[in-house]
Amino acid sequence: MVYLSYMFSELRRRRGRTALTALGLAVGIALVIAVSSLSAGLDQAQAKVLKPLTGVGTDMSVTRPIQVSSTSKGFQSLTPAERAQLRKETGPGQVGFGNLKAGQKFTRTSFQSTELTFASSKTTAVSKLDGVASAVGGLTLNLTTVSGTVPKQTSTGTGTTTGPPSGSSSGGFNGPRSIDFASVSVSGVDPSSTSLGAITSDELQSGTWFTSTTARQAILNVNYATQKNKQVGDTIKLDGKTYTVVGIAKTPVGGSSSDLYVDLAQLQKLAGDTGQINTLYVRATSASGVTTVSKEIAKTIPNASVTTAKSLASQITGTLSTAKSLTSKLGFVLEAVALLSAVMVASLLTLTSVSKRFRELGTLKALGWPQRAIVRQIAGESLLQGLLGGIAGVVLGLLAAGLITEFGPTLKATFDPSSSQTAGQGGGPGFFGAQQQAASTAASETVKLVAHVSPALIVGAVALAILAGLASGAVGALRAARLRPADALRHID
Amino acid sequence: MIPVYELCNVTKRYGDVVAVDELDLTIEAGEFTAIVGPSGSGKTTLLQLLGALDRPTSGEVLFEGDDLARLGEAALTRLRANAIGFVFQQFNLIPTVTAAENIALALAPRGLPREERRERVAELLATVGLEKRGHHVPSKLSGGEQQRVAIARALANEPRVLLADEPTGNLDTRNGDEIVALLQLLAEDRGQTVVLITHDPTVARRAFRVVRMQDGQIVEDEALSRA
Repeated sequence: MVYLSYMFSELRRRRGRTALTALGLAVGIALVIAVSSLSAGLDQAQAKVLKPLTGVGTDMSVTRPIQVSSTSKGFQSLTPAERAQLRKETGPGQVGFGNLKAGQKFTRTSFQSTELTFASSKTTAVSKLDGVASAVGGLTLNLTTVSGTVPKQTSTGTGTTTGPPSGSSSGGFNGPRSIDFASVSVSGVDPSSTSLGAITSDELQSGTWFTSTTARQAILNVNYATQKNKQVGDTIKLDGKTYTVVGIAKTPVGGSSSDLYVDLAQLQKLAGDTGQINTLYVRATSASGVTTVSKEIAKTIPNASVTTAKSLASQITGTLSTAKSLTSKLGFVLEAVALLSAVMVASLLTLTSVSKRFRELGTLKALGWPQRAIVRQIAGESLLQGLLGGIAGVVLGLLAAGLITEFGPTLKATFDPSSSQTAGQGGGPGFFGAQQQAASTAASETVKLVAHVSPALIVGAVALAILAGLASGAVGALRAARLRPADALRHID
Repeated sequence: MIPVYELCNVTKRYGDVVAVDELDLTIEAGEFTAIVGPSGSGKTTLLQLLGALDRPTSGEVLFEGDDLARLGEAALTRLRANAIGFVFQQFNLIPTVTAAENIALALAPRGLPREERRERVAELLATVGLEKRGHHVPSKLSGGEQQRVAIARALANEPRVLLADEPTGNLDTRNGDEIVALLQLLAEDRGQTVVLITHDPTVARRAFRVVRMQDGQIVEDEALSRA
């Protein structure tokens, strides 16, 4: 009690110095809070953008991309059976104008897989791997519909050799005007898996999840629904079959979004791919195990490419990722510099204060105060100063975080899969499907930046301030401990 | 009975300067000794050696039979806390805390219970005649009052010896007189051993014994008749 009252009165006596030291620490702490809250806010923004893939940070998706490049062996690496399957799945879908007469109307549809399919039995194999919490299969296909009237001259339009249509929208095909070219991406979803898969139930904006496995039900991507002007309860045709729209979902940037989601078994049957899937959604038991698990999966499924949430995050560009890399790099430097200078200022002030108290501290030594009591006194004063600075810093930091949230910019996240997607150019006829998907998933989303201050951050900041105070106190205490008690007898001030 | 102090052939050098030069001195319990001499004669150095604030370069400084030169830092600290009381020329009170708290700070290392400490502080304030001034900070007290607080602080742990370095040096005659009278009273009534440094002959004359120093040596040692 005596010690404490002495500490307080010392700090009161050197009011200006105390305030200055505390302010120095406060600015440092406020900066730490501001930068950390900014970085936490950016993390949250990214998590929001990447959800569900980063929702728990433990998700992966497994595909077998069609690897064709000048350096890889390409088709040679595939077995003959796989080549045959590939040909079937990605085949040119001959429109077969030869059978038609000029002026005759026609409609041809074909399903194309953007990736190699594999047996859905792999799902069970993968789900049994160590570190895998659950695994669910999915099938994502492009349904191309070519319809129109046979043109008078057929030599220019085989419909399979020229460039891709843009996006998933219809039209844009630079063939004869009388031919419509429409493409829609469809994902087959296991209705029993509501939290893992091409779409999850919490992505639903309106309507419901699949309620039946026998009735033809579809969930529409909100963009597609808007474009087609469809609402819950409407019907939509898919390869001649009528589906009821039960839900509208908003898929996040980075998630491989399709235009339509239907029951997996129904799609497999429709596309003639019974028992085949081309995407496996895997959830790991822990985020730390993701790397190991993804290696194991690659062993189980040949030529598999495992996309983790982490690798997806690296494909996020735009202001969000710029801000993120800026805060992580500059933010740390800023925090370190601010804290270091605060500690230095505090140390210097403590040192001068100790020098000015030579006689006082010497007197205490002469009175029989042990070394540790002197050290505790100086350190205690610094600790109180640190606490004061910490509290002021938290107030300043919260203010700064509030300002960031209030006037914070809206960040744009662009997901650009072309940076990693291997399928693409030069695949020959019938490969435009892959490009198509790339085009449809290169999307962007805007997020409002909200500086996030967690209680842990506040506690940490105050602890940091106390530590900084103690560090400065240690410098002063060390000096005080070296004082000789004989200094108390000095006659000059 | 062992003397409080027994100094044999004590020398203290600061570099080339010999502050105390082969000095012998014995102080018995209950003595009120004044050490006089011109500036630079080694008075303060001697007091530092007596107060366990410094160690001699050579020779023995026995306090109650223990050689201070052989004691460790912790033992010296304990000695200062329990056996020796200091009074300084400039009072050396902690300016930020009250008179009572100044005394309490000297008691602090003993870790007394709060009530007991408060009683002891009140008792000490009464001893120096400042019962009603305990709640003032030093700057609100007169020089004489401040020095009385300092004496109360020095007495806090019931020291066997009270060392005073020019206790009247910063006071006017009247206040100085009162301080010396207080020390005299402590010596006569309580048998408190007091060693004080002064260059005021009128102050020295009120002690029981006057030791005169010059160039680090004792040149005169005179016992005064008690009036």
